Amino acid sequence: MASTAVDTSDMNGAEQSVPTGSGITPTLQNIVATVNLDCRLDLKTIALHARNAEYNPKRFAAVIMRIREPKTTALIFASGKMVVTGAKSEEQSKLAARKYARIVQKLGFQAKFADFKIQNIVGSCDVKFPIRLEGLAVNHSAFCSYEPELFPGLIYRMTKPKIVLLIFVSGKIVLTGAKLRTEIYQAFEHIYPVLAEFRK
Amino acid sequence: MATAQYELYRRSSLGVALTDTLDELITESHMDPQLAMKVLQQFDLSIGEALHSRVRAKAVIKGHLREYRFCDDVWTFVVDRPTFRLEGGGTIEADRIKFVACTARAPVPPTLSVSN
Repeated sequence: MASTAVDTSDMNGAEQSVPTGSGITPTLQNIVATVNLDCRLDLKTIALHARNAEYNPKRFAAVIMRIREPKTTALIFASGKMVVTGAKSEEQSKLAARKYARIVQKLGFQAKFADFKIQNIVGSCDVKFPIRLEGLAVNHSAFCSYEPELFPGLIYRMTKPKIVLLIFVSGKIVLTGAKLRTEIYQAFEHIYPVLAEFRK
Repeated sequence: MATAQYELYRRSSLGVALTDTLDELITESHMDPQLAMKVLQQFDLSIGEALHSRVRAKAVIKGHLREYRFCDDVWTFVVDRPTFRLEGGGTIEADRIKFVACTARAPVPPTLSVSN
């Protein structure tokens, strides 16, 4: 699990007014983005000539490629559409996507860089106190799904902002479903007083 | 194609030695080139069978994975500074090694082995 220490090193530039109150800022753990290279691709050529590529059309119709900096994974489809996952910030995600596009270009394809879009942001943090999930589930039943026999965390579907939170007894929280990091921060600020109320 | 054997062991030192010998026999007109091809095909079968059923030795390989690839059912790994810890207790080191790994194929039963 991520520490709660505010790591400013990977927020370069995108730092926005971090809400206070809780005194805790969720750490971004994963960003998923898509981009259109706007060019048909021969995946076998890419798999044979690029480094760190996997292509097994019997199992999955895309080339899976990885780079070390920013440490990310890309799924590259024959249509020219690409999904980039694993980045820890918006800039890193875009930089990684550009690097993959460059690799594809260098293999002789007329790759463009169209419609880059962040599709999902995942954050996590630790409130450092245990939480009574049963009580929370009963009081916020409209938003909660808590089935400890299926999954040990409580699933909290917040509507404004539209974010899904996984809340664990340990006080560890995962927030997902955001298109903007501010939504992660807002959702956490909204849930924090509730968590404090159901502190064990 | 399902029963075809890999020819990659022809590039091993054993395979190279055999190929050199066959070449020599051909140039000295002691052997028909077609017979030499048959011998090499039998070598592909035999080494596959030997590696499959007779070799039990294992080695642990560690190193830094510099590069990998998977395409056409072949894995390629380029590993920096690998160490090979052999079962007998020996250790071999190298600067950089390229691994090529293919999907294992069961050896062809002996009754079918000389069929082309």
